[in-house]
Amino acid sequence: MAVLEIEDLRISVPTAEGARSASPRLAVDGVSLHVASGESLGVVGESGSGKSLTMLAALGLLPAGVRIVSGLIALDGRPLTGLAENQLRPLRGRTAAMIFQDPMSALNPLRSVGAQVATAVRVHAPELSRRQARERAVQLLDSVGVRDAAERAGTRPHQWSGGMRQRAMIAMAIAHDPLLLIADEPTTALDVTVQAQVMELLAEVRERTGSALVLITHDLGLVAENTDRVCVMYHGSIVEEGTTRDVLQSPQDPYTRRLLDARPEAHEAARALPSVASADALEIEDLVVEYPGPRGRPPVRAVDGVSLRIRSGETVAVVGESGCGKSSLARAVLGIHAATSGRISLGGEKVAAALSHRTARERERAQIVFQDPYSALDPRMTVAEIVAEPLRVRHGYRPDRISQLLADVGLDESFARRLPRRLSGGQRQRVGIARALALKPRLLVLDEPVSALDVSIQAQVLEVLDGLQREHGLAYLFITHDLGVVRNIADHVIVMQHGRIVEQAPTSEIFARPRHPYTRTLLAAMPRIDGGPRADAQPAP
Amino acid sequence: MTAQPLTAPALADGAARPRFELRASAVVGISMICAVLLLAAIPPLIPGFDAMAQDLRSARIAPFADAAHPLGTDALGRDLLSRVSLASSVTLGITLAVVCMNALIGSTAGIVAGYFGGRTEALFSVVSNTTLAMPVVLLLIAISAVVPPSAGLTIVVLGCTWWVGYARVTRNVASSLRRQDFVVAPLTQGADAIWVLTRHIVPNVWPHTLIIAATDIATIVLIESSLEYLGLGVQPPVPSWGSMIFEGQQYLGSDPWLAILPGLVMFLAVAGTQFLSQQFTAESRGSLLRKGGM
Repeated sequence: MAVLEIEDLRISVPTAEGARSASPRLAVDGVSLHVASGESLGVVGESGSGKSLTMLAALGLLPAGVRIVSGLIALDGRPLTGLAENQLRPLRGRTAAMIFQDPMSALNPLRSVGAQVATAVRVHAPELSRRQARERAVQLLDSVGVRDAAERAGTRPHQWSGGMRQRAMIAMAIAHDPLLLIADEPTTALDVTVQAQVMELLAEVRERTGSALVLITHDLGLVAENTDRVCVMYHGSIVEEGTTRDVLQSPQDPYTRRLLDARPEAHEAARALPSVASADALEIEDLVVEYPGPRGRPPVRAVDGVSLRIRSGETVAVVGESGCGKSSLARAVLGIHAATSGRISLGGEKVAAALSHRTARERERAQIVFQDPYSALDPRMTVAEIVAEPLRVRHGYRPDRISQLLADVGLDESFARRLPRRLSGGQRQRVGIARALALKPRLLVLDEPVSALDVSIQAQVLEVLDGLQREHGLAYLFITHDLGVVRNIADHVIVMQHGRIVEQAPTSEIFARPRHPYTRTLLAAMPRIDGGPRADAQPAP
Repeated sequence: MTAQPLTAPALADGAARPRFELRASAVVGISMICAVLLLAAIPPLIPGFDAMAQDLRSARIAPFADAAHPLGTDALGRDLLSRVSLASSVTLGITLAVVCMNALIGSTAGIVAGYFGGRTEALFSVVSNTTLAMPVVLLLIAISAVVPPSAGLTIVVLGCTWWVGYARVTRNVASSLRRQDFVVAPLTQGADAIWVLTRHIVPNVWPHTLIIAATDIATIVLIESSLEYLGLGVQPPVPSWGSMIFEGQQYLGSDPWLAILPGLVMFLAVAGTQFLSQQFTAESRGSLLRKGGM
């Protein structure tokens, strides 16, 4: 029997913010799908494909202004469309429950986690006393693997790690053994080893409760390992549907094929090491970066004695989980956060630790591309102004140089007068790269340049970076948490943990013969499509 | 490398920058403010209207009763239309001067404190808290004991004491902007603090200052009027809204229009700026506060 049935669903969203006259646009256009009880379905697509809206509609949780134009939705055989809010409420949490992407914004920062889980319990069981609900909450937290649940239940969300918060969200979702769990990108905000743990927990919980699962994601590896069937969505429609194995191994639709090809792991490492023994673009010796600790405590050491060198035309990837010190390393190289001790040489010359002590000439040798394409560009400046800024700073502005830079990153003149908010994430990242290239640096520090982007966009941006490197002989310091991305862009991989380098080797070596146990954990936790059983992820040592 | 460079898709509304859309409340606000401005500007241009000339024979004429005095006269027979007109110029002039001073001092202090942080910010906190603790009216009374009260004194005292609101908001905005990557980027390219402050911080803080200024105009009008009401500030025979209400108050029973008329003009000015400030708030919500998109 089907837990969730959706038939020919059409959802409209209002277009262009504020423009009252504009007609609404269909974000979901004729989607039909069903989920049998106990089954797990993957819904795959890029941002804006309508995958999240479809599932929000299934819970009657569409945001204001977004309307269902036509179609039928039935939860556990009961039609949902046209139900009033108070008729929908009993279904949420009991028949179907949702697990959101960002556990931090889904939890109230001012209430203890235990109390929030208890609220979720009492919503559908008002007969329980506060104390009973509290006890049930502790049981639930315990069942999702929160250690010392009774004690931790009294603490507030900011004292929980991302993975633990997501566990708490799962505990809330399973409070009433719903028939259907809808997980919207449940692990996007998490590190790869934590992601493996959370997905394992979801599988275990489903085994216990017999719930069906809808997993909304853009990660095909995650789908391959966790679902029976998969729907691929593109521009509001389902373009392909079938068992996970069939779809991933013999995709019929050209879009699915593109999506599979765009996966970084799909490419084999085909990079030739730069043959010429070229000059060093960056050399770091025994670098230490410290942050002032809480009052009265010793400083926190984010980077602890790291040495590395990058030659022109070479890419060195620094890989590790959040908090391993990789971003601190990147910022110290640029001097944004001054290193406490150690030597930094750019282009063979030693430079000062703090940015304010470096000359403009020294600064232009290393440039950065930021992770977040949204905060990287001034919202009030046009693309041309943004790219021109470094040239203006150095009094070297020439209009033809702007179009040249934009062309280098694959954008034509038509973008020049756009404001950043009219650009997609990938386009913004291209603008960020063009700005970084404006001063002809020898080293580009790429701080997670593609982690905020969809896979196919990731592939395009990586391609742009690759082309630029060949053309200009740039050196890249590529900071990332995603080993898959590393494989086809890096010559060397450095694995960092707790501020130290635990392993460094040529890329093919790392993938073929990882030596350090932590590297092996990272590799094992990577979701794969090829279907081979994954080695059980162990918590990082 | 991508073979074909990307072309930007045509925009639905055909404009690269978002269209400026006037809200209904802003139209109401603008018309109210225009009415007050016209009242301040037109009568002095018409010959025969004098705000100071007394004529005790035609004292306290009701509005619309005499063609020579369209809005009537006060207890000393002075033409009310001319007096309200002059009072509007006086009060609006003082208010604008005070708001400009506040905005300038407050935003500068806030931006510097927020951007540089550390000791600058600590110093800023001490100064702004001290300023906030000062009772403006008492201060003005105390100073008036030494220096004769005048419009200039009111402007200087209010201008130097009412800036903390601007400073607090702009400090928070500046200190969150300081951590944004687009502010860090020019620094890594050789720019100095002045460059970053003028190109990135000030343009992004400015709309916030404008919002506070728009709401603050109303507050300053009311404070200024209450000071006039207490006899501080502009001295007779020069009228202001506050002093006119004070004079009219004595005849509230027999000739209420003497107090109502300046009160009505004050209401138009205060309500007008409030309605208009809604527009700025909506604008900033549309462009600044939301950086993402949907």
